[in-house]
Amino acid sequence: MNPSVKALQNVTVLDLTTQIAGPYCTKLLGGFGAEVIKVERPLFGDPMRSAPPFFGSERNAERGIPFLWLNTGKKSITLDLAKRDGVETFRELVRRVDIVIESFMPRVLPDLGLGYEALAKLNPQLIMTSISNYGQNGPYRDLEADEITLYAMSGAMYMTGLPDREPLSTGPATCQYTAGLHAYIGTLMAIFHRHESGEGQHVDVSIQESGIECIEMTMINHLRLGRRGRRALHPMVPWDIFPCRDGWAAVICGPFRNWWRGASLFEEPRLLEEKYRHVKGRTADRARVESLIQPWLDRHTREEVFHAGQANKLAFGYLASFEEVMSSPQHRRRGFFRRLDHPVVGEHEYCAAPFRASATPWRDERAPLLGEHNHSVYGEKLGFSAESIARLEREGIV
Amino acid sequence: MGAQALAGVRILDFCHSWAGPHATRILADYGAEVIRVEYVPRLCALRGARADDRMYDKHPMWFQVNRGKRSTTLNLHRETDRDIIRDLVARSTLVFDNARAGVMEKLGFGYEDLKKLKPDVILVTMAAYGKTGPWSGYAGYGGSIETVSGIQNLTAYEPGSKPARVKELDIVNGIAGACAAMTALVHHRRTGEGQWVDVSQMEAATHALLGEHLLEFVMNGTSGPPRGNRHRWLAPQGCYRCKGRDRWVTLLVRSDEEWRRLCDVLGHPEWQDDDRFATNEKRMEHHDLLDELIESWTSTRYHHDVTELLGARGLAAGAVLDTADLARDPHLEDRGYFASSTDGVPGLFPGLPFRMSRTPGAIRWRGPDLSRHQKEIICGLLGRPAEDARPVDETEIGTAFDPE
Repeated sequence: MNPSVKALQNVTVLDLTTQIAGPYCTKLLGGFGAEVIKVERPLFGDPMRSAPPFFGSERNAERGIPFLWLNTGKKSITLDLAKRDGVETFRELVRRVDIVIESFMPRVLPDLGLGYEALAKLNPQLIMTSISNYGQNGPYRDLEADEITLYAMSGAMYMTGLPDREPLSTGPATCQYTAGLHAYIGTLMAIFHRHESGEGQHVDVSIQESGIECIEMTMINHLRLGRRGRRALHPMVPWDIFPCRDGWAAVICGPFRNWWRGASLFEEPRLLEEKYRHVKGRTADRARVESLIQPWLDRHTREEVFHAGQANKLAFGYLASFEEVMSSPQHRRRGFFRRLDHPVVGEHEYCAAPFRASATPWRDERAPLLGEHNHSVYGEKLGFSAESIARLEREGIV
Repeated sequence: MGAQALAGVRILDFCHSWAGPHATRILADYGAEVIRVEYVPRLCALRGARADDRMYDKHPMWFQVNRGKRSTTLNLHRETDRDIIRDLVARSTLVFDNARAGVMEKLGFGYEDLKKLKPDVILVTMAAYGKTGPWSGYAGYGGSIETVSGIQNLTAYEPGSKPARVKELDIVNGIAGACAAMTALVHHRRTGEGQWVDVSQMEAATHALLGEHLLEFVMNGTSGPPRGNRHRWLAPQGCYRCKGRDRWVTLLVRSDEEWRRLCDVLGHPEWQDDDRFATNEKRMEHHDLLDELIESWTSTRYHHDVTELLGARGLAAGAVLDTADLARDPHLEDRGYFASSTDGVPGLFPGLPFRMSRTPGAIRWRGPDLSRHQKEIICGLLGRPAEDARPVDETEIGTAFDPE
């Protein structure tokens, strides 16, 4: 095996995406070896460049931390699609790439004459992946959205939080990242299909529908049993985080077969009563069971709880701080973090590969500066001379 | 049904519970032939806690997560069955497992063993913490991984209150598992080369949900504490009570211009000139008051109506839909989201996760009855004698919930 071969080597992607879902998809494509050309608006770039927080809290298009995270492994060119010459240049680029990925509101590209049908005429094998809030058609198509509204409209928020309080939104941008992962899968399936058939196609990713995947079990129970999902405590006991000596520890009664033997670690004979042997008995007596494990938790630290549980074959955990995450022995041993150097913000550790592919490694490369690759891309792909690129820059087209 | 993207891809699936089976479900949705290897003495948790009355064939959750797959029951400790598995590996493109490090290796089905049976095999493993490192032998579920990864720091009603879990770590990891499989499948199709993809569920979830937050911590030494339904940088954002029991709507304002539009919709254009709300910074400062004002308006309206009124003005709003709302949602209906299986058996499923114009995918059948494809696989596919296709021995059946 030649470990320098990348899975998506020689795949070229024109990336029109902004926000989170699209850029996360193209970050993965770039990381696994595709040439990703990010097309940004001249002067301003992807609006995420101006989204806080900023490195050193200084607002600047090259310092936006979410941008720096979401755009590793890509090239950046500038191009104004609101100008006729910009559209023409874009069409020339489309002829020379394998894939276009975009996340505009669904009406935008067709209005510019750049919808899938039009682009497929320029490049019949083209794969186009469109990521949008609610999909490419349907009555909600043009609704504005952000993570909280998408989490709400996907049904996940209704079931997050406590039964006696309002629904709680997600801290991480769950729906958008989930949609980015789906877009990556759909794009790769399209590549896989094209390799045999020569056919391109259009992939439609709805962030709302992506989010509904996250409640697939509750959803099918509703469809089949008429059982409405609710904000509720976990149906198994114990299966939660509990306070311990120095923070929160996760006490999880799985794998179920190991609970009975493992529960002796709590040094509490009443927990070993026969009626608590099966999870049904414990769930029926939630408050008592949880009160019986608490004294031992009060005497132990988070890490003691974690390792004691694991030593007893139970999947315990503990709430790690970000500082602890960065020094986690598991992450360190596996080399999950890699240093990337960036001309404006300097060298920092980033999460590297999302998974380890033994034959096709991840590419560690920083996010591009705005328009950093104008000369190489317009020169190599379209044969533009330095003078013509300079002219396009003067005219505000790139 | 049109061509399917993964037609001809055979997957031997040793996964159990949710994340792993969700990964292979996505691949089955788009045409892969997924053979689920089931172990009768300890059935998958999604087959439930009861072994009587064939209850293990009746759970909607099993129907959903294992839709379109085939079921065979084999015992990795029995020599005939081990031989059958070796045959199956030799005829599969891809093998999936989500065991802790050492388990499959001890059973003789680690990556090195599989490669001897099929030199270009793809193995995707989805151990909770990955197959290497000091925690590789540790067990993990979504509820453990969400804590140890640090992800659970991000969600809570108030800073300092008990951190909450989000929906749904197993799904994020399941999707990541399908990403891993597709990465290797594309490489295999282009080069003929197999490989082992080691998915650590802790890493995959961290990458997707925590990457930007860890980078902020590394770069600035800061992190945004959880703030319930409020936005870290924009105001107002919240979840507001609507008419009806446990009915809510979410909305957010992203600019001064959007704020002025919202004032119009709320019927209070005079708030546009109220100095307390003039800038985002001031709106952050007076968030409690804004919440009261907004909720006094939403609480007399239905959540769908608020979404529509604000949406028509280009404002971001979304009703907090529950499963009943989703099941009759006009948008999802228009998109034909909920679908029955193509085998004609009645009953709806949540739809496909994305739409492909030329290789649309399909829900072919519900999660299979235990051992349903035993003969088809062992005699049909492998051409082995009928006695190799052992029927399920009812006395051997155990569930994942049985205590030891």
